[in-house]
Amino acid sequence: MPDPLQQALNVLETRFGSAAPRPAAPSAAVRSSGIPELDELTGVGGFAVGRLCLLAGAAGSGKRTIAQRHVALASQEGPAVYVDFRARLDAEFLARLGACLERLLVVRPRTIGEGMEAARVLARAGAGCVCLDFPPQEAALEAELPHLLRRAQDAECTLLLVHDAEVEDVIRYYASLILRVERRGFTFHPDGDLAGIEVEAMVLKNRLAPPGKRARWVLDYPRERFPGAPE
Amino acid sequence: MIACARLPHLALPAAIRQDPSLRGQPLVLGESPLGTVTAASEEARRRGVVPGMAIKHAEQCCPEAIVQPVDETGTARIRTLLLSTLYSLTPEVMAGDDGHAFLDLRGLRLRWPDRQALARELDHRVEAALSARAAVGIAGTIFASRLAADRALPGAPRIVEDAAAFLEPLPIECLPLDEDQRGYLDLLGLRTLGDLRRVPRVAFRRQFGVKAIGLHDLAWGIDARAVPTWRPPSRIEESAPLEPPLENTEALQFVVRSLIDRVAESLKAGGLGAREIVIRLDLDGAPRLRESVRYAYPLTTGADLFERIRGRLKRLQPPAPVERVTLGVRQVEPAYVRQPGLLLRRDGLQETLADAIGRLQEEVRPELIQRVTIDATAPPVSDCRVRFAAVTGGDRRG
Repeated sequence: MPDPLQQALNVLETRFGSAAPRPAAPSAAVRSSGIPELDELTGVGGFAVGRLCLLAGAAGSGKRTIAQRHVALASQEGPAVYVDFRARLDAEFLARLGACLERLLVVRPRTIGEGMEAARVLARAGAGCVCLDFPPQEAALEAELPHLLRRAQDAECTLLLVHDAEVEDVIRYYASLILRVERRGFTFHPDGDLAGIEVEAMVLKNRLAPPGKRARWVLDYPRERFPGAPE
Repeated sequence: MIACARLPHLALPAAIRQDPSLRGQPLVLGESPLGTVTAASEEARRRGVVPGMAIKHAEQCCPEAIVQPVDETGTARIRTLLLSTLYSLTPEVMAGDDGHAFLDLRGLRLRWPDRQALARELDHRVEAALSARAAVGIAGTIFASRLAADRALPGAPRIVEDAAAFLEPLPIECLPLDEDQRGYLDLLGLRTLGDLRRVPRVAFRRQFGVKAIGLHDLAWGIDARAVPTWRPPSRIEESAPLEPPLENTEALQFVVRSLIDRVAESLKAGGLGAREIVIRLDLDGAPRLRESVRYAYPLTTGADLFERIRGRLKRLQPPAPVERVTLGVRQVEPAYVRQPGLLLRRDGLQETLADAIGRLQEEVRPELIQRVTIDATAPPVSDCRVRFAAVTGGDRRG
């Protein structure tokens, strides 16, 4: 916010107290998603701390790649948790993204309840980021989400939920940011290897900035370098 | 009168207790290699190693020094042992910092009229319990007794009869001063407690304020500071023999529930909460079963405590009839730690990540929380290179 405007707001607040105008969205701490285009799209510079951010889209749209980029970045700063209900975590990809695997805790639950309990306890114990990779349309999520959100708020933890289908009402209600991710195409290296995917994301809901924005960018897949391979 | 027992480097007896072969060796405790020396044994100090020195410097002074990190748990255990030893003399024991512990001797006047004999007994008991000798100082106040203990040698107690005369020549640094106060006193040319005493109380108060008037009192040997009395950790255990031995898990739960109520009564009486409860099942003709149940919070009520124990009992399949059930509280904490939640929005208790992982693994299964490693030397096939493994004890601190 520009300084003159802030000064004007301060004057109004001094005169009128709680009746003075104030920002529509409360200021919230954010953590970068690891993707500059996405940070800009959210309007606040990344994923808000203590809130639920939902990545929705069809299979293969790139939402799990986005989530894993954020987990990789978060693991460089502190303990990060990936609740891998469907065993889809690509550890090699995470390592190539620069994730600190020593700080990454992978939760492999058998039920949604187990996974949510683990997420709740670990968020409370100091994990900086919890990524939930759950199957869609799970009734147990509805009961557990409020508790998990409260823990995440108290512990200042970023919550990411990767969702494979259309957003349900319950999750729509609890999520602070909903991104719909769609794949628009593939990009290739000159040698024919897959270089990345082109994704388009739309903000369906945003409690901290105006929703409805769209952005398109290329998500690069970092290449694995084998010992002795040419640069 | 107050007695002060000083054991300056509690980490040293803790390390020697852990490994008796270190006795008589030049032992240096500190974070190697970039940290500083926290404590050094007599043998190392004779070669020039002093606390606060860089570890690398200490290794240069004494190349044969054995450098170890400080065992915080062991040190805490030694501190408790020191206080428990003093508690065997009188229940009026107060814990100080830097290895100091205080005893109020008023209740010992009839049994120990001779203070020299009392100091010798104190020294003897501490040596028997900790295999280390304490420096003992006896004076009228906690402040003076502490200074006396700081100036006493192990085995030669310092008994102060005239506190004013004892304090007179001591430097001003003996007082708990902040930087500003120290600088100002230095500016005024007040170097000793005697110098300070010669400043009238009213003038001192005018210069340093009401809050600092306690310093003037300390210089006169008047110590009004309250030090809370230390109490030994309480041991709470309940046991019930089963005659005839039980095979039915439902009946076992019923017995455990009644035991838990007794445990909860003991906890409630002491204002305590349990963080860990150990269940021991003595079996008929089979080895004893032992199960530990940990809680995120210190819990007090029977219903709360039993909620987690019930699930564990259901999973526990005793291979033989149970002859005796014993419940022991392993970790006891004050129950009030949850109260700050009323003011702080969250409770004041913070579970560490390692504890949280351990608890989840105990309650659900070890494979719930895993770490992933990549073996770069393995063939480039995901199944070969990526390894998921349950987080183990030493690996929990991420």
